Amino acid sequence: MSMLAARWFGSLAFGFALAISLPAEAAPTFPALTGRVVDQADVIPAQVENELSARLEGLEASTSRQLVIVTIASLQGYEIEDYGYQLGRAWGIGEARKDTGILFIVAPNERRVRIEVGYGLQPVLTDALSNAILREEVLPSLRDGETAAGIVAGADALIEQLSLPADEALARARAVETASGEAKPDSLSLFIIGLVAVWIVLGLIGAITGRRTDIWFWPLFFLMRGRRGGEKDPFRGRGGSFGGGGASGRW
Amino acid sequence: MNKLLKQLLPIIGILVLIPVVMAIFSVNTIPAKEERAKAAWADVQSQYQRRADLIPNLVATVSGYAQQEKDVLVAVTQARASATQIKVDLSTLTDPAAFEKYRAAQDQLSGVLGRLLAISENYPDLKSNQNFLTLQSQLEGTENRIGVARRDFNEAVRVYNTELRTFPGVIWAATIYGSSKPMQLFEAATTAQEAPKVEFPSTAPPSDKTP
Repeated sequence: MSMLAARWFGSLAFGFALAISLPAEAAPTFPALTGRVVDQADVIPAQVENELSARLEGLEASTSRQLVIVTIASLQGYEIEDYGYQLGRAWGIGEARKDTGILFIVAPNERRVRIEVGYGLQPVLTDALSNAILREEVLPSLRDGETAAGIVAGADALIEQLSLPADEALARARAVETASGEAKPDSLSLFIIGLVAVWIVLGLIGAITGRRTDIWFWPLFFLMRGRRGGEKDPFRGRGGSFGGGGASGRW
Repeated sequence: MNKLLKQLLPIIGILVLIPVVMAIFSVNTIPAKEERAKAAWADVQSQYQRRADLIPNLVATVSGYAQQEKDVLVAVTQARASATQIKVDLSTLTDPAAFEKYRAAQDQLSGVLGRLLAISENYPDLKSNQNFLTLQSQLEGTENRIGVARRDFNEAVRVYNTELRTFPGVIWAATIYGSSKPMQLFEAATTAQEAPKVEFPSTAPPSDKTP
């Protein structure tokens, strides 16, 4: 009997979970965030990659801004603008709520390049400035086939701009403005609250009917399931978001 | 038989209680999602406003180099005027006719603006003008942000509209939030739908965007 009960309850909870999970929009697949330089297209020599990583780490240490350089093997038919902001959101580059993240995206096979700027850095790194960096520093090298050199030149320009202290006051004012209110309970926490409530109700029923049921512990089991696979990546995004700011170029 | 009923009783109790618990916990969901959709709408509007603010400067710059393209320049100015004349407030969101008017005016402006930028390709002096390059990149960035803001708005509205029509939100929508109406979505631009498509019979399966 309790087997049946567990099964009933299981299917019910499954329906519950389905009801609160939102159907995801069609989105491209993204490479794993393996570090500050993600060279999926394999166009940056290892030594250059290490140097860049160290400098990007230094940038975050001194300004808490996250800049990630990524080369993409395929945009999967998406425009780089479409791909870029979704990648930034998927990785959560930049500080949460302040949105101080930047992606420097190069898609050598589609010959597209983009600087994707998080909401919080748009006053510091405007569309026009991003465009100028691409046009003057990056695209000439890319057109000459010097992909790695173009990436380094772009990274230099971006790091320089992002390290400027004079703009920090402006950036901070803007970040406060875009910081969006208090945290609201998301669907996952509501789900957990619901499970705990069910758990308590089950306990009460068990106490009233004087029967101990094995489904008593079932919600606990469900809670534990989501907690597997602790990532060991030394670098990860901090929850920043993107809204299409920045500039793109082609060569 | 009696024993079976006694064993089933807690299960029936759970079956009744779970929807009740769900409904109680979701009492604030409609206003929360409504506010999120409104915030997304504010973002769409501010991006459109930013574009409208950039246009006079662009028109002035282009007309300095391409006086003979008066038709397009006038068209851009007029489209901007009619787009900014439309009064929008939150009631626009739930009014299909008003929303469609707003969308159509903004899309019209996008169209003529695209034409103006395409024409400027024919003027090398203009293309190398620093002011023009800046304006062009700002406009491109703004158009891109408009796209993202519109998609985010659509997503927020979709979530909100779904909440109004599905359990348990539908209970609250019918009772204490009777004034919360479904909102309109941005449809794909009509030009995108009009793109001619030539299809050949093929044995290969259609390629998927997300492999």
